[in-house]
Amino acid sequence: MELTDNSVDIATRRMELRGEISLASAVIAQYWPMRTFVHHNPLHSLEYLPFEEAVRRGKRFLGGNGYLPSHLYRGYLGSGRIQLQHLDAALTPLVHDKHLTIGSRRISHSEVLRACLTEGLCTPIEEPLDAQSYHDPYHQLVESLAGRLASALTFPDVRDKVQAVARQDQAALGRSMTLPHWCDQTLDTQIVSQINSDLIKWCEAFLDEGYATWSMPGREKGFYGSWKALAAQEWSPCGIADSRRKISRLPDNPEDAVLESLDALAIPMQLRQDYLSLQLAALPGWAGFIKWRAEQQEYVWQQAYPVDLVQYLAIRLWYVRELVQKSCHEELGIDGQYQAVTTYMQSQSGEYFLRRERVAGRLPAAYATEVDRLCRQKRNGWEGLIDRYRTDVVPRQERAARQGAAKRLGSLALALKIDPAALLDSSPTDLKQLVDWIEAFPESDHGPVWLKAFEAGYQEQLLGKLARAWAKAPALVENQVFARHHSQSVFCIDVRSEPFRRHLESTGLNETYGFAGFFAVLIRYRAWGKEQDTEQFPAIVRAKNEVHEIPRSYLEHMLPKHESRTKMVHVGHTLLHDLKENAVTPYVMVESVGWFFSFQMFGKTLLPRLYHRWNAWTQRIFIPLISTTLTVDKLTPAETDEMLAAEQQIAVRKALQERTGLRRWQVPTEMAEALRQRALNGEGEPEPSLIEAAKNAGFSTEALTTFVDTLRQRYEINQRAASRQKEWIARTGFTLEEQILTVSTALRMMGLTRNFARLVLLCGHGSSSDNNPFESALDCGACGGNEGKPNARVLAMMANNWKVRERLAQNGIEIPSDTHFLAGQVNTTTDDVQLFDLEDVPPTHRADIARLLEDLEEAGRLTSQERCSRFPDVTATLLAHKAVSHVLQRSVDWSQVRPEWGLSGNTVFIIGRRDLTKALDLQGRIFLHSYDYRDDPSNGLLEVLLTAPQVVAQWINMEHYFSTTDNEVYGSGTKIYHNVVGRFGVMSGPWSDLRLGLSTQTVMNGDVPYHEPMRLLTVVEAPRERIKKLIARHEVLKHYYHNEWVHLVALEPEEGILYRYRPTGEWARIDEGTGAG
Amino acid sequence: MTGVMTTPLLLAAVPIMGAVLGFVVWSQPDKLKIWSVFVTVLSLLAVIGTSEQLTVPTGGLLLLYLFPLAACVSLLGQPVHQEHRLAWVMTLLFLGLGLGVLTSQNVVGQIALVVLLGLITFILYRHRNSLWSASWWGIGTYGFGTLCAVLATIADPFVSSVASLLVCAILLPLVPFHGGYVIALTRLPGSLPSFIVLLLPAIGLHGLAALMPTVPDVMILPLTILALVGALYGAAKALAQSRVPLLLAYSSLSFFSILWWFVVISQTVIPQTAVFLGAVALVTSGLLLAWQVVRTRYGDDVDPRTISGLAGTMPQFAVLLTLLALAAMGMPPFGVFAGFMGMLFTSPLTSSAALLIIVIAWLAASWYILDMAQRLLFGQQRSDLRHEDLRRSEFASLLMVVLIAIALGVAPDSLFGIEHQSPHIVTIMESVSWN
Repeated sequence: MELTDNSVDIATRRMELRGEISLASAVIAQYWPMRTFVHHNPLHSLEYLPFEEAVRRGKRFLGGNGYLPSHLYRGYLGSGRIQLQHLDAALTPLVHDKHLTIGSRRISHSEVLRACLTEGLCTPIEEPLDAQSYHDPYHQLVESLAGRLASALTFPDVRDKVQAVARQDQAALGRSMTLPHWCDQTLDTQIVSQINSDLIKWCEAFLDEGYATWSMPGREKGFYGSWKALAAQEWSPCGIADSRRKISRLPDNPEDAVLESLDALAIPMQLRQDYLSLQLAALPGWAGFIKWRAEQQEYVWQQAYPVDLVQYLAIRLWYVRELVQKSCHEELGIDGQYQAVTTYMQSQSGEYFLRRERVAGRLPAAYATEVDRLCRQKRNGWEGLIDRYRTDVVPRQERAARQGAAKRLGSLALALKIDPAALLDSSPTDLKQLVDWIEAFPESDHGPVWLKAFEAGYQEQLLGKLARAWAKAPALVENQVFARHHSQSVFCIDVRSEPFRRHLESTGLNETYGFAGFFAVLIRYRAWGKEQDTEQFPAIVRAKNEVHEIPRSYLEHMLPKHESRTKMVHVGHTLLHDLKENAVTPYVMVESVGWFFSFQMFGKTLLPRLYHRWNAWTQRIFIPLISTTLTVDKLTPAETDEMLAAEQQIAVRKALQERTGLRRWQVPTEMAEALRQRALNGEGEPEPSLIEAAKNAGFSTEALTTFVDTLRQRYEINQRAASRQKEWIARTGFTLEEQILTVSTALRMMGLTRNFARLVLLCGHGSSSDNNPFESALDCGACGGNEGKPNARVLAMMANNWKVRERLAQNGIEIPSDTHFLAGQVNTTTDDVQLFDLEDVPPTHRADIARLLEDLEEAGRLTSQERCSRFPDVTATLLAHKAVSHVLQRSVDWSQVRPEWGLSGNTVFIIGRRDLTKALDLQGRIFLHSYDYRDDPSNGLLEVLLTAPQVVAQWINMEHYFSTTDNEVYGSGTKIYHNVVGRFGVMSGPWSDLRLGLSTQTVMNGDVPYHEPMRLLTVVEAPRERIKKLIARHEVLKHYYHNEWVHLVALEPEEGILYRYRPTGEWARIDEGTGAG
Repeated sequence: MTGVMTTPLLLAAVPIMGAVLGFVVWSQPDKLKIWSVFVTVLSLLAVIGTSEQLTVPTGGLLLLYLFPLAACVSLLGQPVHQEHRLAWVMTLLFLGLGLGVLTSQNVVGQIALVVLLGLITFILYRHRNSLWSASWWGIGTYGFGTLCAVLATIADPFVSSVASLLVCAILLPLVPFHGGYVIALTRLPGSLPSFIVLLLPAIGLHGLAALMPTVPDVMILPLTILALVGALYGAAKALAQSRVPLLLAYSSLSFFSILWWFVVISQTVIPQTAVFLGAVALVTSGLLLAWQVVRTRYGDDVDPRTISGLAGTMPQFAVLLTLLALAAMGMPPFGVFAGFMGMLFTSPLTSSAALLIIVIAWLAASWYILDMAQRLLFGQQRSDLRHEDLRRSEFASLLMVVLIAIALGVAPDSLFGIEHQSPHIVTIMESVSWN
């Protein structure tokens, strides 16, 4: 194999390496910080591959299962959730037209395959427990059948087997197995866990975002640089001898370090990408977070402490090369290099086989002891041991294999309702043929078949309902005028909105719409009193506008009191935190103030609701709530200057206090302004007025000059910074044109362009829970894992702007003057709706508001009642008021692992009129996006829906899918062991990989899935040709539908006929009742 | 014959006759197992019923009660399979011989001991494996033990005393005579290891009780050193084992060495020593049975490193194994703790260095036993294996061990007849002499 070419320019090699690492990282998904949890497909980067192939890659690199275990699917079959006709249909592509006869019964290949699935014939058969069942009625039959199979069922000689194993592992090395893995499974080392353990330590320390009490020093040097500086001071990390010298001699450039390690390991060029993928996949959580951070160039922590996958690999590969070299040299006397290892496997295949079997725990105890002895004494008795193994162990294994085959045949006969005794009359060749059919369809191939049958059952039932609903829905008539609704409410497409919408519609003349929860408002948002922005948009887009929450102007007199009390609380929290984290004070604190915490502990544990209410009440008393508004409109240049001046004056006062001790009230505004002007524009001698003011404050002229320089340098009061700040302020708000475009787009996309009610509620969603690091996973995915409140408020304010309405009317959207847009947010944990900016509602709408509030309350009650019926711990049907009380209790219970449990179960995305689904109980499993193709002649709106909200829905769906199929690898395991790390993620216990995905409690109900893992089905009510054009235009859609990541069904609006989009790009009509298409 | 002489014979005869009658249902393993369990229950009833007529051993009646109980749990914990039939019958036979050794004061007891050692030697020979070179150590050790037992019966008093001490060191393992014990625990088939882990040390302690008061002072120091070395050696070896039976063999060696140390420095056997021995042996027996549960499911040659995550799939097993592990680590309220404390407070402590060694051995036990339990119960579950929680008989077996271990820790001594002094109590001190 080709190794590296050293003659190539080092810069080129570095560039190539970066490319290789970028490609290699496709197998790991980005990891968003948990405070803004973003549901995503853990195999997102592999969507260019067919689903089944991507799942195989996931298995190869990450070890994750992409399908449920077969016994769970069999459970679904037993319960009727999977039906046999769907299983047969899914099996069809695998079936050969072959038959054979057992007794008088003709058995087809398809029957055998079906029995493999339904009876679990391919599950492991070496079950000693069965051998202990003395009362096995088929014991004799199995023995006889095994004897009959003896002539037909032959096994390769052990020498051939040994060679085959060596060849197989040789081929796997570098492709699906790294050198450390090889050492671990051959030499019984623990290199992988040693390296992981050390890497976790470094990642945890370096990536920390203010959670650790003592932060890692030297982080500004970057991950590799800081590791190099600190690790060189460690004494023999992972037992690597002479580590200080070795680390200090590493190149300063991380790319060079990676190249050096790859050369030292002699990884062939053609295997490098796979090899790097495997190394990244060893800790997919930490590597995924580093991958995400490396792409966030504006992220404050990334700017301060840069990290990327090259640096990560530079560190990891150094450990790899050192530990592999050490182990190979000490145990085998060979170099720790790819070539040396493959040569060893070839030339010492017997020894390799026995070592491998020993480590895997597959050798009988006596042989294991002998292998240990040979390894310890480095004696050459391997060939003799192999010979003994051949005569002693192999016959037992062959006998067990024959018995296993016989047992499978017996089970097959029973499954096909054949007398098992008839098998004894069949020829060994026929029996062998049956065994071959079974073995050619191993358990690992069952997943795709089960999944298709699983999906088909659900889809058939749902599509049938939709087809019938279409027939009953009001006909599509242009410009049809309906009776005016009391209200129109727009909810997020989130599946949790579906029951709420259904119930709200049932309470009165309320119409509802579904729309992605960011409401077409892409903003960075800063809540009042917060120091950081939140990104209120889907992870796949970017925002160019910023919106700030500010107190309403008439409340300015309350601000000082509010600010001072907020500050007191903040200081109290900081003090408490510092006392807790200090090395000495906790000893005193526990005795002195520890008792006070018992109030909180008992309150939260015994009376959580009461405690919560009391806590909220005291907070309100101490810090009164202040009504706020948002900076939706752009500032004029004058306003911008004014805002900038105010901020700079605050900075000047702060500087004076820090540098001279002058309190804010001691600094007159004129002096602050003069200093600001001087710092911005002043050259030469200071103005006399400034000198005078400075003298009054106790400044000499020299001190004044020095202070102004400090203002410029330390406090960034200079022209350059001012220009930057102006640019930043200019991003605040929207121009009128932007507002018109935003409102118009939103209304057209949701199909709300006529028949406006007097009240239009734009309802975002959020959630509340206690002691839940995953809280943001319950918030709005379309708002970047944040609450949707700001987006709803912004759109409502824009839509209420009369200038916007005037222009909209010119564009064909006539909003009546008595229509008022209202912002709200539903708490998906408690089903409670909060309305915002009520003081902006005209007095004429008070009665409408009151009616809407009543209806919302009733809808919330009914939704809570419906949700309670799904909680496993609620066995009885609760009355509505008890259900409300129950969900409230869950939201404040700090021991509750399932505060909400609403998003699990998602499965379908419907883009179409509400009339299609209005009459259906969709059980909170469907993403509903309102869309009327008649309002979208250019197809532009559908294009957006398929490429944005559908992507969000698919990410949510895939996150749940993979978290269910393999919760340990793609999910985050049980919540019980979770520990928050670095303020961005969780680990299991004190030391683990960063846990990806959703917790066990989110997707499982005990041992069975609560979330049924199925790929997203998108149903679009639009002409097929339009959809097809869009698919041709977008790669993401081709990947989804052609690679079977998403199922697509079109509902022809004029015909009411459903068509399934095939991976081949053709449409197939779906027969009602069978769901087949 | 007087009652004192006939009662031991009766006690020995019940299980031995049961073993012989077992051949009637030899072809039906399930019935044979039920019969064997029934015989052990019968033996227990016989011990209880005849306790008034028995010569009470130095450790009280506790060990006599524990013999049939240990045999019962050992049999209950085994799966029904024809390959185990011989082990069941041998368990009954061993039980009869053990009761005979413990209750007879005459030559009958000596003969029973010779037969017992001879049988173990023979079974080890039958189950030898050319890859297990250590098997010969076991065969040799027990063969030597048999010879010593014969010598103890027929030789002059001095030789007899030395031979008796050697037999004790082989039965209640003491370095360097522990090889046989380790091999027996790891190589004997079926229910035998979990039974002999109590049977042999208990007989050894019984012999030691008679022997210790007569041991000359010059022997005390070497024996003390051997005991302390054994405690450390056993702990160190246990730490290095990956195979569960070996780990338990060395672990129990370490604990029995602690017991040796107490016996040697106090030069007597007190009832608390029997509690300690009974608890250590029984808990080791329970852990061997727990391991048997794993072997039943995943094969006789299963490597413990390949099995993990059983807590999720076998919760009953997980709870009982955890309790057994806690008991084996010497945590209260189990008998190991109570026995140790009992010995500690009633024995003269001569050396703090020795106590330090004991503490080190004890801490090591906490490490390797917890590590073993943790590896089996936690970690990744293997989805390619079928998991089934305890079957009824297995559950009953492990539960009984846990309950007895708790009872040994918390129940009053009188319950086990430890403080009960029968009018027939005698010792056979006079029969041995170093002069």
